[in-house]
Amino acid sequence: MDSYDQVSLSSLIKPDRVHKDYYIDPEIFKLEIDRIFSKSWLLVGHESQVPNPGDFVTLTLLTQPMIMSRHRDGSLHVMFNRCSHRGARVCTKPSGNALRFECPYHGWAFHTNGDHAGVPYPERYADGFLEDGDFDLARPPKQEIYRGFVFVALDSEVSDLDTFLGPMRYHIDNMVDRSPAGELEAPAGMFRYRFAANWKIQLENLNDLYHPMFTHASTTAEDGTQFRRQGAEGDEAGKVKLLEKHSSLNMQWEEQVIAGHPHGHTYMQRFPMDRENQGPVYERYKSSMVEAYGAEAEAKMKVHHHNSIFFPHWSIQYMTQHIRIMNPISVDCTENIIIPLKLKGAPEEMWKSALRSNNNSHSPAGMVMADDMDAWVRCQEGMQANGHDWIVFARSVGEESIDNEGSFQGLGTSEANARHQHRAWLHYMCGMDQGV
Amino acid sequence: MIKEIEAFIYREARLLDERRFEEWIELFAPEGYYWVPGAPDQDDPYESVSIFFDDLPLLKTRIQRIRHPKIHSQEPPSRTCHLVSNIELGARGNGNDQISVFSAQIMTEFRLDKERSYSGRVKHLLRSTEEGNFEILRKRVDLINCDGLFETLTIPF
Repeated sequence: MDSYDQVSLSSLIKPDRVHKDYYIDPEIFKLEIDRIFSKSWLLVGHESQVPNPGDFVTLTLLTQPMIMSRHRDGSLHVMFNRCSHRGARVCTKPSGNALRFECPYHGWAFHTNGDHAGVPYPERYADGFLEDGDFDLARPPKQEIYRGFVFVALDSEVSDLDTFLGPMRYHIDNMVDRSPAGELEAPAGMFRYRFAANWKIQLENLNDLYHPMFTHASTTAEDGTQFRRQGAEGDEAGKVKLLEKHSSLNMQWEEQVIAGHPHGHTYMQRFPMDRENQGPVYERYKSSMVEAYGAEAEAKMKVHHHNSIFFPHWSIQYMTQHIRIMNPISVDCTENIIIPLKLKGAPEEMWKSALRSNNNSHSPAGMVMADDMDAWVRCQEGMQANGHDWIVFARSVGEESIDNEGSFQGLGTSEANARHQHRAWLHYMCGMDQGV
Repeated sequence: MIKEIEAFIYREARLLDERRFEEWIELFAPEGYYWVPGAPDQDDPYESVSIFFDDLPLLKTRIQRIRHPKIHSQEPPSRTCHLVSNIELGARGNGNDQISVFSAQIMTEFRLDKERSYSGRVKHLLRSTEEGNFEILRKRVDLINCDGLFETLTIPF
């Protein structure tokens, strides 16, 4: 029997604080896998990672080994990477191209759509055994692709993807629509890292505006600007003014909208100090957008958001151009992958600039990422200490507006984004409706 | 010639271990860069993600950051030991004033009771200077775990 019932789960979440067991109790983590991750649509990757027939990538989803592959008929398949015979991981290459997958243990073979392709020496099996049994590679019960983003659900009861995403669907559209071809690509592989902190600490951080001036103080120059984040090669347009003075809060940030929708999704408006791109490369981009979309081009080019987090485990960062998938491994271990995104059809210089921006800020040596990871690990370590049992999220508590559908809107450094995630967490964990 | 080049490369490793980062970046030519690919067998830094892909201005930013009083990911600072070996001279280029140098390197890092080890092949492209020394046009480090899972990195290899 579970040691947590609805009452004890509810007692962990207060309007302005959460109990530290929320982050450090392994029992809670086990329940989260069953009640949150198994009840959500999970992002596996982007379909451009496997453009050609036979292309595949292997990946870890939660702790499960998976294969995403492109079959010879062009269809895309996500399968569990486990031989239907003795359970061996069928494919161990990170990526490649295969005619079929063959298990090295006893030679059982599978087509690139997961169908069982046969076994060596089948005559020793009883008549009909191989035909009757289902020896295909197992597949998650649900799979959907939305504008190149590949999702699976581990429970067949999960609501349809459209309902799950709700208004967040437009946060995918905003990214894809910036491409003159209406498509994104992921041609540069990914960063991978592991850190010793609970998955929710990162989730609370991504749309937290209270931390940058402290956590990222070392990436800020004397004049308050941060190194180039985005912009054409060599130009200064991408330098973000993080601080007015050393470690002072830039008041523009308090005006910035932090908002979210049911199912725990949250997003942050674009930084007001992010300057518009300009210059000859950007003009070329603009022309190709006008050619593709006519009068709608201007609206499609507009970057609305800085970060959108699709609860419980992935996000889009719009200026830097990447998706981040956050894999919970255990109560105190999370693995990230970050996949830079190319706007198909945009000038090559823009892609080079975006890739460099990702290298600078989000590689394992990235000058933003390293600060954040260090802070998350410190939280996990610090929470082992006795004394205060509660983690505080009280800034501007109650000032956010929450509508009848369960969407909220708050401002600046209010920590409203984290409180929204806490409410969604409780709803998931208690099996309640994700509305209000 | 190989003696002078070995001395240059050993000194470079020592500057990093002694946290003399400003002197380390002075070894680079104005157009020099430092590259640690994020995938094996890369021909071009724009083919894949890079762990480091820094020109001189970015290297300077990185060093300013390491020196910043509030760089908490270096509190306490990493201690490192760069062990360089297997030095071989490669092809000369551009007349006679450029030379490629191959080496193997292990950087061991200790911080907060954790010891981590990073191994890889290094390729330098060096240019002779008028003062009779060398400067780095390119330094490329191919880590054996370049596409693996990393924790936080701060100190260059």
